[in-house]
This record gives sequence, structure tokens and C-alpha cells, in this order.
Amino acid sequence: MGGLFSYFRGLLGAREMRILILGLDGAGKTTILYKLQVGEVVTTIPTIGFNVEQVTYKNLKFQVWDLGGQTSIRPYWRCYYGNTDAIIYVVDSADRDRIGISKDELVHMLREEELSNAILVVLANKQDMAGCLTVAEVHQALGLDALRDRTFQIFKTSAVRGEGLDQAMDWLSNALQARK
Amino acid sequence: MYTLLHGFYKYIIQKDEYFVLILGLDNAGKTTYLEAAKTKFTKKYIAMNPSRITTTVGLNIGKIDVDGVRLNFWDLGGQLELQSLWDKYYAECHAVIYIVDSSDRDRVSESKETFDRMIASEHLSGVPLLVLANKQDIPDCMGVHTVKPIFNQNAHLIGARDIMLMATSALTGDGVDEGIRWLVDCIKRNSVDRPPRNHDDNI
Repeated sequence: MGGLFSYFRGLLGAREMRILILGLDGAGKTTILYKLQVGEVVTTIPTIGFNVEQVTYKNLKFQVWDLGGQTSIRPYWRCYYGNTDAIIYVVDSADRDRIGISKDELVHMLREEELSNAILVVLANKQDMAGCLTVAEVHQALGLDALRDRTFQIFKTSAVRGEGLDQAMDWLSNALQARK
Repeated sequence: MYTLLHGFYKYIIQKDEYFVLILGLDNAGKTTYLEAAKTKFTKKYIAMNPSRITTTVGLNIGKIDVDGVRLNFWDLGGQLELQSLWDKYYAECHAVIYIVDSSDRDRVSESKETFDRMIASEHLSGVPLLVLANKQDIPDCMGVHTVKPIFNQNAHLIGARDIMLMATSALTGDGVDEGIRWLVDCIKRNSVDRPPRNHDDNI
């Protein structure tokens, strides 16, 4: 009986999923957010603070928060961690110099108790750039093999070309639904 | 006093935890198998629709309780470039489930080569292996009698560990139950060499 109820509640639209888009500055977070929302590449400036938008993907509603990625504002990410269903972590695959910093921020973030149930999606962004890191290299550089108790998936994306985002959102919506 | 009772309570209900790797080539059906295992051993679990399962590039996890122990699964991506990441998990796992696509005759030798590379790792020595001839629901697929001789070669790599080859269909759930129960028996037997991890232990 309870199953039936939850089935109908699912049909009527469950609560909005809360998703954070995080990553270093210049990784392409804001571009991804607006690509998801309006389907276009918008001109962005470095985000100070945050952008929040409602994104509907295949009848699922997401509240997507894009937080600024500069060094000085990264400490504020944690203020937004509560009730987060998923994290989209964006990496600039062409920025080999700062992938280590990106790793440290990711490791630091995933230690937070509030995020222990959040699903992780890593976007290896800027795949349109020559000489960028492959998926396996991103996996290794971010130290993702140390993650043992969290479902995660990496996607190659190019936000400016709009490549890979659909697959990522597809996977994410399935994973979120399966988790319920 | 509370701590004492609480500790005792935890001791009573605690299950031994073991880790099982699910490996195999891409598109062998590893994630579908994981979903089938979760469905079989978790009450009220609603499995992901198999048609919506995509290529894994990362990690899927699952926990099931069987025969008094808890199994934690790690389902990894099987594409060639991701195979280099498998060995990071070898030292910590207690068993490996290796999945073969029985309907893909063209890639069975590639699957066998990958299998040999995997079992040659010293970090996996003595670890029980369950090889599954998956996709038995597809007509005209290779049966156990065809797949078994292929994977039974190289006895020197297999050594004295437990190994079993079974037919399954992750899609229909056939053979999932038997395989996991066999594996649990082997894991328990092997627990002297590879002791379980307690839940409170930190990695």
C-alpha cells in the first residue's frame, strides 16, 4: 500500500532536487548552468556569489546552484551543503597545472558529513581544447579511486559545444530516481 | 554504562563486511548485474530500468546482506582506458565477479586476455573468482560449455584460489542468487587470509 502511495506521489512530482555545481574558477560552471537552463551559451563573467536557477529535465525539476569558484570564495561553498542531492563537480580538463588544486578542493568537500549521501557527477569539461586530459587521467588526477562508498560518474563535456551534458543529466536523473 | 551496552548492542548486530569487485569488458552487463543483485537481496528495492543504464565511467556501489554478512559491491567502468584503474581496488577487495558477454563472440578472446591480466596481479592472489557467462537470455549465445574451456586455461595464474564459472542473465535475474551464495561461502572460507572490514574501521 505504501508503495502505491509513493508511486502516485512520484507521478505528481516529488520535491525539487537540489544540485550544486562546484569547481575551480574558470572551469565553466556558469556556462553549464545556463546551457542546461536555456540551452544556449551565454557570455559569463567570473561569478562572485552564486547563480541559482530552476532546471527542468525530462519532467524532473532541479534547483541548481552555481557557486563562485575563486580561491577567496571557496570557503563559503559549505554554507550551501545542507540537503544537497547531488554535486556536479566541473573540472577544466585543459588546465593541467591546477588539477591538483581541484583535487584538494574535491577531497575536502567530500569529507563533509552533510554531503555523505550526495551523488557525485564529475564533468571533465573543455574537451574541445587540444591536449586536454582524458577521462582516465581526470579520474587519476582527482584521486577518485580513493572513493569507495559513493556512486559517481565522470563525463566528458564541452559546455560551449553542448556536448556530453545530456548524457550527464540523463545519468544523474536516473541515479537520483533510483536512490529514492 | 551506556557505552558498554551500546558497544555490546553493536557487537551483536554488527555484520562482517566484505567488498566485491564487479569487473569485465564494457557492455558485459556489470551495472545491470549489480542492479539484479540488489533487487534479489534487498526487500522493496526498485531497480533502475535496464534500458536506462548507460556506460559506466566511474563507480557504482551497492550493499546487500546475505547469509549473515554484508557485501559491498564496487562496479567499475570496463572500457579499455578505464581498466588501468581497476588495480587500485584489488588490495581491498575480498572477491571478484568477472562478467562475460556470452553473446559477443568477437570479443570473448579480448575478455579472456583482460581476465588474465587481472588475475596475474599479486594483489588478487587467493581471492575467490566468480566468472559469469552473462546474457544467457539472448538466443544463440555461447553456453557455459563453450565459455568455460576458454576461461579455464592458464591454471598457473588461477592457482589454488576458488573459481567458478556460471551461466547468468542479469536482465532476467537467472543465476544471480546461486552465484552470490557460492561467493559468500568462498569469502567466508578465505576470511583468514582476507579478514572482513568492520564498519567502524576507518579506511
